[in-house]
Amino acid sequence: MSLAIELKSITKRFGSFVANEDVSLAVERGRIHAIIGENGAGKTTLMNVLFGLLQPDEGEIFIDGEKKVLPNPAAAIAAGIGMVHQHFKLVPSLTVAENVFLGMEIRKGGLIDHKAQIARTAELSQKFGLRVDPGERVGLLSVGIEQRIEILKVLARGARTIILDEPTAVLTPQESRELFQTLRGFVAQGMTVLFISHHLEEVMEVSDTVTVLRHGKEVATRPTAELTKADLVQMMVGRAVSFDRRPRGPVTGKPVLEVSDLWARDERGLQALKGVSFQVRAGEIVGIAGVAGNGQTELAEVLSGLRPASHGTIMLAGQAIQNRSARAIRHAGVAHVPGDRLVRGVDRGASVAQNILMGRQDQSPWSRFGVIDRTYLNEQTKRLISRFDIRTRSPETPVKSLSGGNIQKVVLAREFSGDAGFLLVDQPTRGVDIGATEAIHSEIMRQREAGKAILLISVQLDELIALADRILVMFAGRIMGDLPGEGVSEEAIGLLMAGVESAPAEVA
Amino acid sequence: MMSDRVAGLMGQLIAVAIALAIGAVIILAVNESPLRVLVTLIDGAFGNPERIAGTLLQMTPILICGIAACISLRGGLFNIGIEGQLFIGGFAATWVGFSFALPPLVHVLFGLAFAALAGMLWIAVPAFFRARFNTNEVVSTILANYVAILLTSYLTINVFKRPGGQPDTPAILESAYLPQIFSFSRLNWGLFIGVALAIGAYLFFTRTARGYAVTEMGANPKFAEYGGIDIKRQTFVLLLVSGAVGGLAGGIESLGVHHRFMEGFAPGFGFDGVIAALLANGSPIGTIVTALFFGALRNGSLLLEVDTTASREIITVIQALIILAVSAQILVRRRASDSTAGERRWKF
Repeated sequence: MSLAIELKSITKRFGSFVANEDVSLAVERGRIHAIIGENGAGKTTLMNVLFGLLQPDEGEIFIDGEKKVLPNPAAAIAAGIGMVHQHFKLVPSLTVAENVFLGMEIRKGGLIDHKAQIARTAELSQKFGLRVDPGERVGLLSVGIEQRIEILKVLARGARTIILDEPTAVLTPQESRELFQTLRGFVAQGMTVLFISHHLEEVMEVSDTVTVLRHGKEVATRPTAELTKADLVQMMVGRAVSFDRRPRGPVTGKPVLEVSDLWARDERGLQALKGVSFQVRAGEIVGIAGVAGNGQTELAEVLSGLRPASHGTIMLAGQAIQNRSARAIRHAGVAHVPGDRLVRGVDRGASVAQNILMGRQDQSPWSRFGVIDRTYLNEQTKRLISRFDIRTRSPETPVKSLSGGNIQKVVLAREFSGDAGFLLVDQPTRGVDIGATEAIHSEIMRQREAGKAILLISVQLDELIALADRILVMFAGRIMGDLPGEGVSEEAIGLLMAGVESAPAEVA
Repeated sequence: MMSDRVAGLMGQLIAVAIALAIGAVIILAVNESPLRVLVTLIDGAFGNPERIAGTLLQMTPILICGIAACISLRGGLFNIGIEGQLFIGGFAATWVGFSFALPPLVHVLFGLAFAALAGMLWIAVPAFFRARFNTNEVVSTILANYVAILLTSYLTINVFKRPGGQPDTPAILESAYLPQIFSFSRLNWGLFIGVALAIGAYLFFTRTARGYAVTEMGANPKFAEYGGIDIKRQTFVLLLVSGAVGGLAGGIESLGVHHRFMEGFAPGFGFDGVIAALLANGSPIGTIVTALFFGALRNGSLLLEVDTTASREIITVIQALIILAVSAQILVRRRASDSTAGERRWKF
């Protein structure tokens, strides 16, 4: 079997961040090759390198056995590679055929030959089973048909290898099935498909081969038939350093947070939460496990007032807080350590003290009559710096000059020093070194002892097993199971994360 | 913190130096000595008390418009419609000035308040659309400029034109005059108002809770939103305040300097103010310095045509070069900043 694509030791860095590290990939011709990994694992970066959108810092690209340098997408297209992006790039006011031939119009006597374009589009549509009406305006069409047009654009440019970035994210199940059928048709005609996804189901369903990426590195490449969903989860999530379970007393507190039948949509308007219910008691750590992208982010945003809930209730100490403003929810007693700490958690250009002030700037004694008490702010910041062991020269140091772990400690210091009864803690140790991780775990346990109700969202199973009293597993916007933190196995969690509901024994 | 500020200041100084250097080359190209032009400019701007007063007179509207720009920039917004707010405010104050008979101080305050209100109303629609629908305020406020300039021109010529040849309104009553500082110059209390506004804006942004909320909205809107700051409401209010200050600049110009409204009432002060604010990196105190610089350029250029062969348009060229250099500098700094997270929202 010959190789359609071969990537050798690709490394791509963005500043100090390594998006792809020494990734090699061999894609056989006439196969559907899936690339799977969590959000941020480096899938899209790798495909952008292959499509000429990004230049690798190291490594080589071979297409049909020939070494290529791809300085831009035009070069990739010339080499027979086409890419269908996650976000479509169609012109709504043009027809299907005009979009397909945009930038490479068929001309006759200097004018666009619309008839030929329509005929050619119909021909492609026929040949590959992508049903479209070439004369229709794109603005009126559904997302599923827009995707077909994107694929037709790629085919019209003579692609022999097609890259699809999360193609099913915007599709209905019916549309997804049709897409899979189309893809199988492609490989039957000798074309090659590269398929990026973080959905296990569809990877298992449609692909011949799977490559798993984790934290920018290639973990494994195997024939799909040899793998189970549980294997994939394990490879995607991996095992970091193991932590011992923290000793603790029984949970005796009253429920602080009660969530029932919560629904919410994501950015694209798709249901990301589908009827989530749970409760968190005082002095209890409830963990949320799941492969990233299964509704955890949306759950955190809805609980903190940053995203509207479409249905359901959230009761905090007997008070309904769903769809209140972020400010009202904070004042009602919710502290939030956000998962995307550098985006939401801090203003990196501002000082430690200014970051500590956020959310309380209009409250006494931090300010009086609208004027900030700078002496008080400085004293409190110094106290928190020593209490949370933040390694910084002074309260005036800009946060961006601190290490990742210390930036997270600034966030924790701010959020844990208020009088909130409920702590929403999202990915507290992502990208944090081991020493700081230990300190952060101890701090979370201290908050538990102090009687706080804690919801701990993490993609790291060992972190959940070390800290959580109960672990809820999320899959596709639902809670798949409620496991005790004591004595639970990573395998049991992993199966639920893969969306397998039944007991391990029943899984082949 | 400090090192950032020093780096920013150095960047601005280098930008100005490059602009002046290119300006010197252009002056050489028209067979004039750059040194002579420079000396003439300085002499024209600061050569005697009358000239200093003239420079401060030119500086005043630039400073107040600059503060209006600083206010929006601080929140990550870009009100480039200050020119229009200035025209509307100037007309509104003039109207109050000739339409009512009021006690002296009351008349001035009423006129200025009306100017601020008019500026606020002029930005209300762009502000609402920015807050509610995220419509780009750069486009909407710049478009509102043309409407403001043409509308005031229409009102002046067709509705309020005083008998006689000139396209201007009746003069305001003396009770509405903003007092002059010296007998020999039209320089007036507007300068003090401008400096007070600059200091006030500085204290507001650095010392108050609301100023902090605005600053963080500008620095990292997602962080501000997460911290419970109502971005939409604050965006709306901030643009209104910026527009009010723009309108006030016009009111001061008509009550303090012209004592009437006419076509071409205050050419380019609004835009000069925006440039002064950008050159000062959005700092209100820094804007005092940069507004003085632009005021000196404008006033010094009057002598330039008398004493040298250079045309005063060379000043426009130098200003344009400064804009280019400052924009390039901002772009370079953006590229150099390491990641996508928490970037400022300034967009131009």
